[in-house]
Amino acid sequence: MNIIWLDDTGCQEVSRVGGKVANLSRLAAEYQVPPGFCLTTDAFQEWAGHADGCAEELPSELLRQLSDAYGELARRSDVEKPSVAVRSSAIDEDGGVASFAGQYETYLNLQGDAAVAAAVLRCWHSTRAERVAEYRQHAGLALDRLEMAVLVQELVPADSSAVIFSANPVTQNRDEVVINASWGLGESIVGGTVTPDTFTIDKRDLTVTESRISDKKVMTVRVQDGTEEVPVPRFMRSRPTLSGEQLVAMARLAMRLEDDMGWPVDVESAFCGEDLYVLQCRQITTLTEPDQK
Amino acid sequence: MSDAGPPQPVTIPPQEDFPVEWASADEQKIPWELDLMHFNNVMPPLESEYWAQFMHGADLAMQHFEMPLQMVGKPFNYWLYTGIFPRIPPEKMPEQTKRSDEVLMATVARLQERWDEEWLPEIKKQIEEWDAFDVTAASTADLQTHLTEVWAGAQRLADIHFQIIFPVYIALSLFDDLYNDLFPGGVLESQKLVQGFDNKTLEVARALWDLSRKARASDGVCEILKEHAPGDVMNVLIESDDGRTFAEELDAFLNLHGKRMSDWGIRHGSWIEDPSPIMVTLKGYIEQEGDPRDELEERAAERDDVVAAARERLQGYPSDVRDEFEHLLKAASTAVVLTEDHGYWIDFQATYRVRRVVMEMGKRLAEAGTLATAADVFVLRTDEIAAAVGASPAADHTGLVEERKKEMEHFGSLKPPPFMGTDYGPPPPGLVSTALGKFFGTPVEQTDATDGTVSGNAGSPGKFRGTARVVRSLDEAHKLGVGEILVAETTSPSWTPLFGTAAGIVTDTGGILSHCAVVAREYGIPAVVGTGVATSMIKDGQTIEVDGDAGRVHLFD
Repeated sequence: MNIIWLDDTGCQEVSRVGGKVANLSRLAAEYQVPPGFCLTTDAFQEWAGHADGCAEELPSELLRQLSDAYGELARRSDVEKPSVAVRSSAIDEDGGVASFAGQYETYLNLQGDAAVAAAVLRCWHSTRAERVAEYRQHAGLALDRLEMAVLVQELVPADSSAVIFSANPVTQNRDEVVINASWGLGESIVGGTVTPDTFTIDKRDLTVTESRISDKKVMTVRVQDGTEEVPVPRFMRSRPTLSGEQLVAMARLAMRLEDDMGWPVDVESAFCGEDLYVLQCRQITTLTEPDQK
Repeated sequence: MSDAGPPQPVTIPPQEDFPVEWASADEQKIPWELDLMHFNNVMPPLESEYWAQFMHGADLAMQHFEMPLQMVGKPFNYWLYTGIFPRIPPEKMPEQTKRSDEVLMATVARLQERWDEEWLPEIKKQIEEWDAFDVTAASTADLQTHLTEVWAGAQRLADIHFQIIFPVYIALSLFDDLYNDLFPGGVLESQKLVQGFDNKTLEVARALWDLSRKARASDGVCEILKEHAPGDVMNVLIESDDGRTFAEELDAFLNLHGKRMSDWGIRHGSWIEDPSPIMVTLKGYIEQEGDPRDELEERAAERDDVVAAARERLQGYPSDVRDEFEHLLKAASTAVVLTEDHGYWIDFQATYRVRRVVMEMGKRLAEAGTLATAADVFVLRTDEIAAAVGASPAADHTGLVEERKKEMEHFGSLKPPPFMGTDYGPPPPGLVSTALGKFFGTPVEQTDATDGTVSGNAGSPGKFRGTARVVRSLDEAHKLGVGEILVAETTSPSWTPLFGTAAGIVTDTGGILSHCAVVAREYGIPAVVGTGVATSMIKDGQTIEVDGDAGRVHLFD
């Protein structure tokens, strides 16, 4: 199967879609995850088989399937040309997720199947990039076993984005949710270019125990064919990114995910109007063992 | 880093040729300053009394908006000084400023509504009431009662005047800030999104334009306008066969739009009393093509394009940004019209009705021998007028008037100190101070004076090279030739019909939101404002180039 949708249970097979996509697919069943589909390792192999993995175009049948899937996304979201994010998800030989940071390709705010196809191609080409080869040699991983899945997912036109921790990553307090939030897409928070607002919420009664509003100087917004980091207008720089209700909604989300996953979570999320979306969910790996109670 | 706090207040040393006796220690603590944009000359006592009351109207408006500031106006040696200073102790300022910003912003959100439903109806009603009083038929005692009422009514209109302009200039200033934050570029770009809206100033100019087309159609009328001094034209038109119909058209125009003085205040003549300024303008318009309606349409079309482009780009931005953009665009769109319309209705139309009563009173006092001539009434104060009315025997103030005129001449010939009293340093940035800064203009250092460049504030985009015509008052307006560059200290709305004749403007006073800049943009002619020195550095007849976007003027030869 070349293309599997996130809400299809077949999308949880790590060897075909990678760990990141498999994880998201699991979440999609229960949480508000933006709809999307994955070009599997099968699709990658089919392309790589042509022209020694250097083909400049998608094979025509694959291209047709991609166009159909994009069309289906348009139908589902009731938008003629939905904006999407295209993200690569590499899989190495033991089926785990290739964990080398910075090797992921991400293309944001693309519209139309041609732009999506071009982005997919760029993701696939990146497997041939020298730095990837170098890294894999260094890590003792076989070059020719590198496979890649590509996720095409509707882009949330975020008014505000946040990273939510279901335990305090600094103090280790497991009774607290900590939220780092800023304007626009989450790239500015994750990329570290903005100092976000920080909110601390007590999980027991959902009260906000601390609000540190920062001077948010930049934000990532959608522009023609992509995104751009732009200055935040002065009236918004010191305005709190999230309201009391939004903070509670995010805290509840993180607590629910923590319950479901069985471990403390770090959740990338975004608000668009009143709708709260989950974009990513990972285990917080830096906590020490919980105190025995 | 510790907070340095506000600078220590400094008592300003007096200027030797400008002696001042402070009425109290408190009076000296006020930061008095000259407003050369509005008051660039000495003024007679009645005029100062009118303006002091007008400034009290600003104070009333400040209270209306719960501002922690107060305002006062007072003449010193016949020059009008104003002072804005805190109403409450410094430690209470931040909280009160926050509260007052909320009150101001609530009006910013409802500008059009307040204008349509509250302010304009009250202004029109007051004008109607005053027009219903027959000034010439009333007894002098009744006239005096009416004068007192009109004076009090003018106080209320002054209050309304400032209730309008504080939020109006705040709206324009905030929109300008937001636009520049979102789309960094030329300082004049933001104004494109609010250009091309009709206003009373443009309506008056259009009416004059239409008259000029009618004049053009008649050789006889053109001849009369060309051959006769502006002050004689009306009489000659009435006497001539060719001109009679045109004279009637002129009369109709003057009845509708002519009840306004040629400059701010009550002492200047009105167009309906002396239509000379209209004749000068008509002469200029007759030589020109280019219907101002086409200009207005072009401005509006350009505006629509720029707004659409901004909206398209903002589609990818957070909803807070889009909402604020639309909110401020709407407020600024009303505000830009009100910068002109409030003046038309209050500063000019309503204030004419005050002048009319005062002039009639002057006539009565001259008849009684209290004054040598009716116009001398401006040299008295209202209490002196009240005492003189019905005094028996009639008071003789002719000596007093002569004395004061001599003093005015003396102080009018020197350069008054720009600041007096106490200096508190620049006001902390805030909604009102930032907005007023854009209205009055930021002082500019003349760093390139030796290079033959005069620096100022960008006022209206474009470049134009031509002949400078230094015009020091509207009496000199006839000097301005078609396509020349008007160089003036300041231009009140009454000057703006001249903008149809000029090809560029340079002023000493004003900022990007001044009347001069706003109207120059509507006329599509380059303007540099707030140079401070244009009228002293530019020579009449000199070739100069105005660079409106850069805010600089290059001087040649």
